[in-house]
Amino acid sequence: MRTLRWLLVPVLVLPITWLLFQGFGRDPRQVASPLLERPAPAWSLTTLDGEALSSEDLEGRPYVVNFWASWCVPACVDEHPVLAAAHESHGDAIPIIGVLYQNAPADAQAFLDRYGNAGYAHLVDERGSLAIDYGVTGPPETFFVDAEGVVRARQWGPLTEETMDAYLALITPATAR
Amino acid sequence: MRRWLPIIAAGCLLAVGALVVVGSLTPRAQPSIAERADALAAELRCPDCQGLSVADSPTSSAREIRRQIDELLAGGATDDEVRDHFVARYGNWIRLAPAAPVVWVLPFVVLIAGVGLLALWLRTRRTPIAGPLAAVDAEKRRRLREEVESLDA
Repeated sequence: MRTLRWLLVPVLVLPITWLLFQGFGRDPRQVASPLLERPAPAWSLTTLDGEALSSEDLEGRPYVVNFWASWCVPACVDEHPVLAAAHESHGDAIPIIGVLYQNAPADAQAFLDRYGNAGYAHLVDERGSLAIDYGVTGPPETFFVDAEGVVRARQWGPLTEETMDAYLALITPATAR
Repeated sequence: MRRWLPIIAAGCLLAVGALVVVGSLTPRAQPSIAERADALAAELRCPDCQGLSVADSPTSSAREIRRQIDELLAGGATDDEVRDHFVARYGNWIRLAPAAPVVWVLPFVVLIAGVGLLALWLRTRRTPIAGPLAAVDAEKRRRLREEVESLDA
């Protein structure tokens, strides 16, 4: 009985303590997206330039959906050149679609004026319904959709050149690279 | 007191069971769409808050989720269909209360097991320890008394 009581410490207490400590290092919002390997949400919105754009216009091409905001500092500022560079090297072959997350169009425009406008489209998601369809918890968050319209990857937090290249490789056929 | 513990534990168990049965048998009025929307908003997490429900949050995400709840319910969706709509987007994370029944049952199982173990432990402790007094013989007692008296002196 006495040894049994001492066994309680390694058998019960230690694993539970370990399990609880595991949680400290993780952001609870960083859960796996249920959208992965599923068809991407469809949308039809207006861009910052006032043009109509819908997911149907992108059919047959892989694309990147990047939720951002001018108030998302420094993360959105940090990843901004990464997105611009990707747009520069892939152009219309892999459209990048920015989506304003709880951001006034004027503020977003000021951000682009300040940090550089690479020229890809930014959607005004006024009600935030596209962010909800994508299950976004806060910017920056980026989704990678392949040519079949299936979500292949999600980046939670800012993109780096390395993560961008790795995710783009997931959505482009080997011959295209 | 100790001998009453298992009886008290059994009584508590019976009372909880009776409450559950009575609660499930009592007929309830059909809630209105607004009441259902309120209840659903209270059990869904506001995606850009820290531990707040959609009902408790003023952010635009929370407002949009609330608007979608209203729209889905008005369109004839059941409560489960509304929950599934958001779980399909955010995963189970969006639900403030866990969906797995084991999480609700486990604390009661642990509580009952704890009370049972405590009762068992108290019972074994109650058993008198046999013969320690008899082991001290007359010679030892005399020596002990002498030592104690020498200490007092």
